[in-house]
Order: sequence, then structure tokens, then C-alpha cells
Amino acid sequence: MKEDAVLLGHTRSLVGILTDPGEAANDTNLPAVILLNAGIVHRVGPHRLYVKIARSLAAMGFTVLRFDFSGVGDSRARHDNLPFERSTISEAQDAMNYLAAERGIGRFVLAGLCSGADVSLKTACCDPRVVGAILINAQGDQLDTGDALRSYLLNRRKARYYWKSALFRPKMWLRAVRGEAAFRDIMRVLLFPLLSRVARKKKALSGPSQYAAGLRFVAERGMPLLLVFSDGDTGLDYLHEVFGDELRQLCSSGKIGFHVIPHSDHLFTLLDDKERLLRLMRDWAHGCFVNVQPGAEDDGLLHAQRPSIGGRVAGGGKPA
Amino acid sequence: MVPFYFGGPDRPLYGCYHEPRPGPGRGCGVVLCPPLWHEYIYSHRAYRQLAARLGQAGFPVLRFDYFGSGDSGGDDDQGEIPQCLTDISTAVSEMRRRSGFARVCLVGLRFGGTLSMMSGAERGDLEGLVLWDPVVDGRVYLRQTRTVHEERLGRSLAKLKHGIRNGTNLEILGFPLTRSIAADIEHIDLLAIRRKPANNTLVIESDAEGDQGGLREHLERTAARVEYQQIHAPRIWLPDREGGLLVPNQILQAVVSWMSRVQP
Repeated sequence: MKEDAVLLGHTRSLVGILTDPGEAANDTNLPAVILLNAGIVHRVGPHRLYVKIARSLAAMGFTVLRFDFSGVGDSRARHDNLPFERSTISEAQDAMNYLAAERGIGRFVLAGLCSGADVSLKTACCDPRVVGAILINAQGDQLDTGDALRSYLLNRRKARYYWKSALFRPKMWLRAVRGEAAFRDIMRVLLFPLLSRVARKKKALSGPSQYAAGLRFVAERGMPLLLVFSDGDTGLDYLHEVFGDELRQLCSSGKIGFHVIPHSDHLFTLLDDKERLLRLMRDWAHGCFVNVQPGAEDDGLLHAQRPSIGGRVAGGGKPA
Repeated sequence: MVPFYFGGPDRPLYGCYHEPRPGPGRGCGVVLCPPLWHEYIYSHRAYRQLAARLGQAGFPVLRFDYFGSGDSGGDDDQGEIPQCLTDISTAVSEMRRRSGFARVCLVGLRFGGTLSMMSGAERGDLEGLVLWDPVVDGRVYLRQTRTVHEERLGRSLAKLKHGIRNGTNLEILGFPLTRSIAADIEHIDLLAIRRKPANNTLVIESDAEGDQGGLREHLERTAARVEYQQIHAPRIWLPDREGGLLVPNQILQAVVSWMSRVQP
């Protein structure tokens, strides 16, 4: 395995680390893996998670590139006023172009945590070179939904915090005894799970969810997809709200892996949780791509209707 | 800015070299020594900004990651304090090779400051040293990081009953705390260093709960020219509630101004 610092993009302003598998590269048909920034944390990832992922997958034979979007980490900021949601897709495509030119690889798996997961999905929807995606704690387009749903998700998170953590902490009770806690608010949050079942109508999407459309698109396309969530993540709540019972049907195709790592935080900070996440990724990547003929994962591509998500379409097409 | 690896195939270190702006040079390079663990992640943005500003002021700058951290080679559990000091020396040599300047200054935040001062005292050839909220006492530092770990994760994880203990091992916010590095850190006390770490030293204290007064007096006794600045700013080495990465403009400006004064 060998790591190199590389510059990519139109103006070579994006900084990345390319992990070549070296002697581990037995299967030359493997797609390359590209790791997309988790928020504004630079390419090593939260608590160096992306470095571990890159080396772990490279040890299986994958070529892995982790890089910084413009304005993040070591990459220079853009000056073309392209909005973030478009520039990230464009730069993910720049990374694919780089690997195609430098390593002759034409198939890619995109992976990321939080916003990195969201960019992975959006890019997969507009670029057929993406043959797989690993979405870790994807948040989807919940910030674009109506106030009622956002408020519902926030209250649900607070209720979980009280029921699973705060109620069992002596410090919290000490504050209550001292009169420092807002009892009315706490009672409202504690009763929230019950009340929300009674008043389900409050949480409605304000419009069609592009996130849902994107997931349906890649599912119909038959693209291997791994969805991993930490227990109680807002993104998991949102996924359930968006899909409801349809989620089970989506996952039943066999190409979508869906896993919740119990008692983990949003960043999978504890070492055991990080190891569980890595194991899931390795197993999924092995099952989908190692010793699998290229193209087998693209069967549904021609039959799926592309959702309207920004980005250049490889091969000269336009977003529908 | 040039990203590259240096330091040999057995111990590859990631570095970013920032060229100085064109014009009359300062004749002195600056090496930025990062903090450890989560503090490295959260301060990365500020370090990059500082490097860019020093470059604009005419200094060539090298940022780098210790072995076993960031993009450098090695696993999380391979970081060792003596090796971090070796890595700083390797980075100083790399700076001299790239810039052609013999004179070098070090800048370090938190444990990066601690390692910079230890390195400077050991080497005895540094022109300048910026200690930005350095960790003075290793035991206090371990206690603080343990508290941050428990507070941060205790909020979301009911299972965090054993604090930083993970089976027989210890961990700090996603990084393994090996017994050897914990033992090394416990023995660190900057007030026990007798040799002058650099010709000129700037101590910046931004943490209201910090106590760098003792360090300032101690440094003055080593015959170093010492300047002390108290600049109140958020603790950028810790995550804020919104997950933002803060860049303390006033502190970066103070570092660049001081560096420009002592290395005209």
C-alpha cells in the first residue's frame, strides 16, 4: 500500500491523498473508492476515520482517494460563486476524472459521512460512473422540509436524549432538586413520543423530497448501496419519515444494505463503534465488488428515471 | 501550497509547504507543530489560515502531521512522544532544505506548543518559538482530555459508563490512548526544562482557565526574550455545539505581527 499527496480539479486546487493498494491489487476490475468530506472536517475525517477507511479498503485491493472540497481543509476556495450543493457534485466528478486519467479506472464507489453521504447520493444520481455508494448517517434534505417536520425531528431527538441518557444521570436529578431544570419543557419532551403518535398529521413533508427520489432512483437502477446509521441519528428518523414501510421494500432488493449501529454517536467516536462501521464497509465492499464481474451491478440503469439533482452528467447527457 | 510526503519510506510524514509571497525574504522559515488527537482535527482550519497569513508576510511555512496522526503514515496507536520530537526535527530539516534558510521558528498550539518547547530546548538552534496555550503539565492535560471525552460523549451515549476505559485499553474521543504515550505525557512538565528553547519566545494565553503566568516567569529565567500576550478567544481546539471550526483572527494576527517584528 502506498499513499501519495495529489492535486486535482480544473485548476489543480483540490488536495487529496491517493491510497494505492500496491501488492493487494489482485483484482484489476475493482472500482475506485472516493471519500467525500464530512461537513467541514478535512479529509482525514472525524477522529481520523477516513484514513482508517482508506487503508482498510486499500488492503482489500481498492484504490482509494480522499480529498478536500474547495474551501475545506487544504483545498483553495472557489471564486466562481457556484453554490456548495453544485460545486461538491462537480468536484466529486473532478475526482473521478482524475482517477480515470491517472489510474485508468472508470467505475467508482462514493462514500461519506453526514453531508459527505448526501453528496455521494446526489453525485450517484447524475453520473453513471458511480456503481456503488456508502452513505453513513445521511441527513437527506430534512433542512428543506417544512417547519412542522423539522420541529418533530428535533423533539424526537430531545426525547431520545432524556429517555436514553439524561434521566439516568445523577447530575440531571441534582439540577431538578435544586430547581434549575425547566420541568414543563422536560415533561413536554418526555411525553412527546406518545403525543406524536396521536397527532401524526403534524409531520408532513412540505414538498417532494429529492433525497427520497435519489434513493429510489439508485435502488431502481440496482446500484449497490450501503446505508449505515448511528442509533438515534436524526438522519435515521428522517429516513423513516420519508419512506415509512417502503424502506423495507427498498432494502429487500438485496442490493441495499441497511444497518444501525446500536448505542453509537453521530461520528462513531468510540473505537468499538468505529471498528463495527469498518467491518460493515469491508463486508459490503467484498460482497458487492470482489470477484464480481464489472457491469453486473448496473443492470437496472437503463430502466430507471433519473431524478432532478444538480451536477454534470458524464457522457454528455443532461439532468432530467 | 505544495502537499507532499517526506521523512523516508519507513516513517512517511505528510506536509504542506507554503511558499512566501514574492519579494524580499525574511531569511527565516516557520514550522507549525500541530496538537494531538481531536485537538489536531479541530485546529486544522486555523493552522491553514495561519500558514497562509505567514506566507503573505514573507515567511515560508511548513505544516506537517506527526507519524500516526493526520495524513502521515502509521496507525493511531503508533504515536509516541520521543518520536514526535524526532518528527519535528525532520520537519525542521525539510524546511531548511526547501527554503534554503538556516533560521527556523516553531509555532505550536496546546500539545503542539509543548512539543515545540521540548524540541527547542533539546536542539538549541531555534530563532523563535510561539507557544499558543501550551500544555504545561502533562497530568493536567490527561485529566482535561478525559473530562472532555466524558462530557462530550456522555451527552449522547448512555453506555459511556466506563469513561475513557475501553476494555483494558483507554481512548480519548476516537483515539486510542496507549499506556506508553499516557506514561510519557504524565511525566511532562515544561517548568522542569532548564535550557532556553529559542532566542525569542511568544506565549499566547487565550484560555480564561489557563495559567501561563508560571511558564512566562520560568522562560524568563532561561535567558530567552519572552513576550506574553493574553488574548481572549474561544477554545478552538474543542468542538463547538454546532460542529464549527473556529479561526481566531486576533490570535493569528498577533502571531504574524510578532514574527514579523522579531524576524524583520
